[in-house]
Amino acid sequence: MSQTHRIDGGLLDRSRALRFTFNGTSLEGYAGDTLASALIANGVKLVGRSFKYHRPRGIFTAGSEEPNALVTLRRDGHGEPNTRATVTELFDGLVASSQNHRGPLRYDLMAVNDYLAPFLSAGFYYKTFMWPKAFWEKLYEPVIRSSAGLGRLSGKADPDIYDKGFLHCDILIIGAGPAGLCAALSAARSGARVILADEDFRFGGRLNTETMAVAGTSGADWAQQAVAELASMDNVRLMPRTTIYGAYDHGIYGALERRTDHLAESAGKPRQVLWRIYSKRAILCAGATERSIAFGNNDRPGIMLAGSVRAYANRWAALPGKRIAVFTNNDDGWRTASDLAAHGADIAAIVDTRDRAPLEAPAGATVAMGAYVTDTKGRHGLKSITLSNGTTIECDCLAVSGGWSPNVHLTCHQRDKPQWRDDIAGFVPGPDLPVGMRVAGAANGALTLAAALREGHEQAHAAAEELGFKPASIALPAAEDEAVETSAFFHVKADGPRAWIDLQNDVTAKDVKLSHQEGFRSVEHLKRYTTLGMATDQGKTANLLGLSVMAECNGRSIPETGTTIFRPPYTPVAIGALAGRSRGKAFRPTRLTTSHKSAEERDAVFVEAGQWLRAQWFPEKGETHWRESVDREAVRVRESVGICDVTTLGKIDIQGRDAAEFLNRVYSNGFAKLPVGKVRYGLMLREDGMVMDDGTTARLGENHFVMTTTTANAVSVFRHLEFCRQCLWPGLDVHLISATEQWAQFAVAGPHSRDLLRKVVDPEFDLSNEAFPFMACGEVTVFDGTPSRLFRISFSGELAYEIAVPARYGDAMIRALMDVGEEFGVVPYGTEALSVLRIEKGHPVANELCGQTTARDLGLERMVSKKKDCIGNTLSERSHLNREDGLALMGFAPVMRNEHLSAGAHFTSRDKPATTENDEGWMTSVAYSPTLGHSIGLGFIARGRDRVGEIVQAADPLRGKTIEVRIVSPHFVDPEGERQRA
Amino acid sequence: MPRLAPSSPLNGFRQEFDRLEITEITDLALVSIASPQGREAELASAVSGAYGIALPPVGSSVEADAGEPRFLGLQPGQCFALFERQDEGPVDIIARKLSDAGYYTDQSDSWAVLRVSGTRCREALERICPLDLHPQTFVTGAVARTVMEHLGVIIFRDGEDSFLLLSARSSAPSFLHAVVTSAKNIQ
Repeated sequence: MSQTHRIDGGLLDRSRALRFTFNGTSLEGYAGDTLASALIANGVKLVGRSFKYHRPRGIFTAGSEEPNALVTLRRDGHGEPNTRATVTELFDGLVASSQNHRGPLRYDLMAVNDYLAPFLSAGFYYKTFMWPKAFWEKLYEPVIRSSAGLGRLSGKADPDIYDKGFLHCDILIIGAGPAGLCAALSAARSGARVILADEDFRFGGRLNTETMAVAGTSGADWAQQAVAELASMDNVRLMPRTTIYGAYDHGIYGALERRTDHLAESAGKPRQVLWRIYSKRAILCAGATERSIAFGNNDRPGIMLAGSVRAYANRWAALPGKRIAVFTNNDDGWRTASDLAAHGADIAAIVDTRDRAPLEAPAGATVAMGAYVTDTKGRHGLKSITLSNGTTIECDCLAVSGGWSPNVHLTCHQRDKPQWRDDIAGFVPGPDLPVGMRVAGAANGALTLAAALREGHEQAHAAAEELGFKPASIALPAAEDEAVETSAFFHVKADGPRAWIDLQNDVTAKDVKLSHQEGFRSVEHLKRYTTLGMATDQGKTANLLGLSVMAECNGRSIPETGTTIFRPPYTPVAIGALAGRSRGKAFRPTRLTTSHKSAEERDAVFVEAGQWLRAQWFPEKGETHWRESVDREAVRVRESVGICDVTTLGKIDIQGRDAAEFLNRVYSNGFAKLPVGKVRYGLMLREDGMVMDDGTTARLGENHFVMTTTTANAVSVFRHLEFCRQCLWPGLDVHLISATEQWAQFAVAGPHSRDLLRKVVDPEFDLSNEAFPFMACGEVTVFDGTPSRLFRISFSGELAYEIAVPARYGDAMIRALMDVGEEFGVVPYGTEALSVLRIEKGHPVANELCGQTTARDLGLERMVSKKKDCIGNTLSERSHLNREDGLALMGFAPVMRNEHLSAGAHFTSRDKPATTENDEGWMTSVAYSPTLGHSIGLGFIARGRDRVGEIVQAADPLRGKTIEVRIVSPHFVDPEGERQRA
Repeated sequence: MPRLAPSSPLNGFRQEFDRLEITEITDLALVSIASPQGREAELASAVSGAYGIALPPVGSSVEADAGEPRFLGLQPGQCFALFERQDEGPVDIIARKLSDAGYYTDQSDSWAVLRVSGTRCREALERICPLDLHPQTFVTGAVARTVMEHLGVIIFRDGEDSFLLLSARSSAPSFLHAVVTSAKNIQ
């Protein structure tokens, strides 16, 4: 089969023949073709099977509104189901296959559904598959799912890459037809920054598909000239192959640019880019979509929208039929007939529902006025049509024009309600457009060419003026106002064969009536009950027909019946495009400490802590279980010295004359009298009295503090402090800036930590216990002059320090610390050993500071100073938070020492069943204590402090484990704190 | 023990693309300067006395004489001084000039600094930067805080076709990946 239906002319590059395959058959087209136009040129009529009844279907339109010609493009992971052949730009090597059939397309086994149609009406599965209930999930749904639907996913990862981006303009022009091009010229000549976007790969819209002249030349040529002028201007960005799919707040539009879909290979470049366009003004020039007329068997291959038949002939030099009939309710259908006749097609008939012929019919055409088509014949392709006057006319293509519906979609994305216009029998944009939007041309109901050009110019002129640009005075290109009179005729009311309304979802006029009969009368209910207007085309060619039938059933007008809500996206957007480059590791940033590289070299196992990657433990040779590594690290710290990177803790630099007063207000305990050179543990409450965070704050100078926060709350505490500073106490002189990234900070912990640091800190700094006692801090230098901050604080309970150097020295510092520590057998330790040590010591972390616990629960009630006010002070006094039987943080040890505790277990009395009613608290943190040789835990339990020594059950139904535990002090190791003060 | 050797967040990364170059800048010092409440005029006059310039409003920057800092206006009551790194501590350099007229915090090690330059730099930045970088909107010398690929970024236009991007040191590899991906994606 060669291009049997190809004619002369068209906007094709015939020097570039392109080979492609459809269902394995090799075919040829030209550069400039779409897949649909190339199929038509090759005489292919049957391109797919319908959704429900598996009826044979052909190409119906020439644009993104296509309901039928959905194909699977490309292969394997690159395969994309439900691609509209009508907007698929042909490329050499394109591979397409039809969808939704079992066996060959021509002999689909599932076509049996068509004979079962009486049982498959709207909502049939709600009625048919009700019983037995258990069958639904296991049998009915899988069967329905496998027999319905369109294309299939490959099930493989999408190998293409996608990107996103941001664009800015003064005036965004959506659609590059006559109105859009005219608007773009006017806007651009005024000096405004303009973006002109169109879903087509060739700008011009209807100028490319029709034959009317503009400014004395062909429409297509005028469009080319306009595009050339725009392309030469610095202030214009032309975006072909770009669909503006959504109108969002404040003039922001979503755009999908298809960058490599028209190429055989993406060559490692993004296939599509999802743009967010910030516009000051937008002019919607989206044109109009032709609609069909519902009549008996109106879905056969060869029955197409009239304007599309015309477009295939004019733009793509492909005639969908040799003998074509036209069925119309408006003047535009007649122009189709004359255009086709000019291309040499045999016009079999013009059937007009109206009484008076508006234009002259091509020679030889039968003209039937006041008539309509009632039935058609031809299973795999149209053979004949039957008219209401009884005549049968042989034809292989029927061009149907039911009038034009303005593409108001984007005007409705902010809930504008479209308004009905009788003269065009269609909805036009209402009064509540998205901010900054104007509408021009056919989208605004201006269906004639001259009016479209004029409106485009006028709207751009007005928009440019509003933005303070001086609009250029330009002469409007001359064009005619063609005849466009129409009538409100939507469906042929006859008791004949099924009349299709929504081709994509197989919804018939009868289904709409059934919906009404069964009480689903609102348009939104109609949509959900019948699926009218759903799926990839969102009913672009069907909605108005459905509304008209529903209106008739309701006995109301179409505007009274209303439209369903238009929502983004205007046309389908691939999930891959929405994800952009946020795939795999690129989903979110990763934060690394300065010791990361060194830890990697030591084969550390890392754990995610928010965005941070922290070393969890450092396995040594021969260690086969994580516990071996962690136990060793914890023991080394208790016996000698270990080093842990604690850079991830939030560090906030606080300066100002009122810094001390500020801290006094945000911390529950006092900070005003903290001497310079000292660190204090601080507890921060939320306004509701619950504990928010804790940490240490060091006073580096009279007006200078540095606060640390937990890793998890670094950002939220900073935000909270900024709120306090700016909104609660704007009168205080206090300034905050994050210093988390500035300093690489290491905990050096263990009885040998001072010995180690003496080899690090320059000798002029005295580290003796007298000169630098527990909770001292100061600025020192290390390794011959590198500035550093030293804090004597301890999370592990051992003699310990934290030493910070500017981050640029972090990598060198960890290596140097390990080197000089070698003589003490220093170990690096990770977050697991850190956790073991702090649980042994009874220090709370996020597990305990969970947002639902108070200072009293934590045993820190004395830290809520009553000598001063602070955030949360008052509400912490609420009686419910101070009940006698309130929770207390306690330690827990298994009665059977070889048993392991589990975090999350709930406590109940030994004599009561483990039920919610008997719940007395929960285990927050557990660890194996190498120091004690058994599992230990921290947790909250009611009246805990009065119950030391009591045995309770720790029930963990999630893991199916209940064990007996003894309530003990939360301080398992060195409760007096002698080690850290040594 | 030998002295500690500094390392830069991105190991001095540099890569050229078509009319586009991405370079890590490693020799800068950065100090935040906050103006004490009620003493804003003192800071302003200290700056003007020391450098002969007025502090820039938020969103813009002003450069003192060659070799002296450029001040970036970042938020009300706060600016950053950006200058070439010297042996002396960054805060000490500023404090020597401005005495105690402001509160100073060293930020030199908090940020990884990338210069994205070349005639296609805006095209690459379009993929990650939500701000309008048109030369009439974001003029040479303009500065802003924004977010790119979930990361906080300070962007400063230091030339017609050149931008400095400052992002947190710890996430610098992720940030670099985002910028390099943008460069690759437009090639």
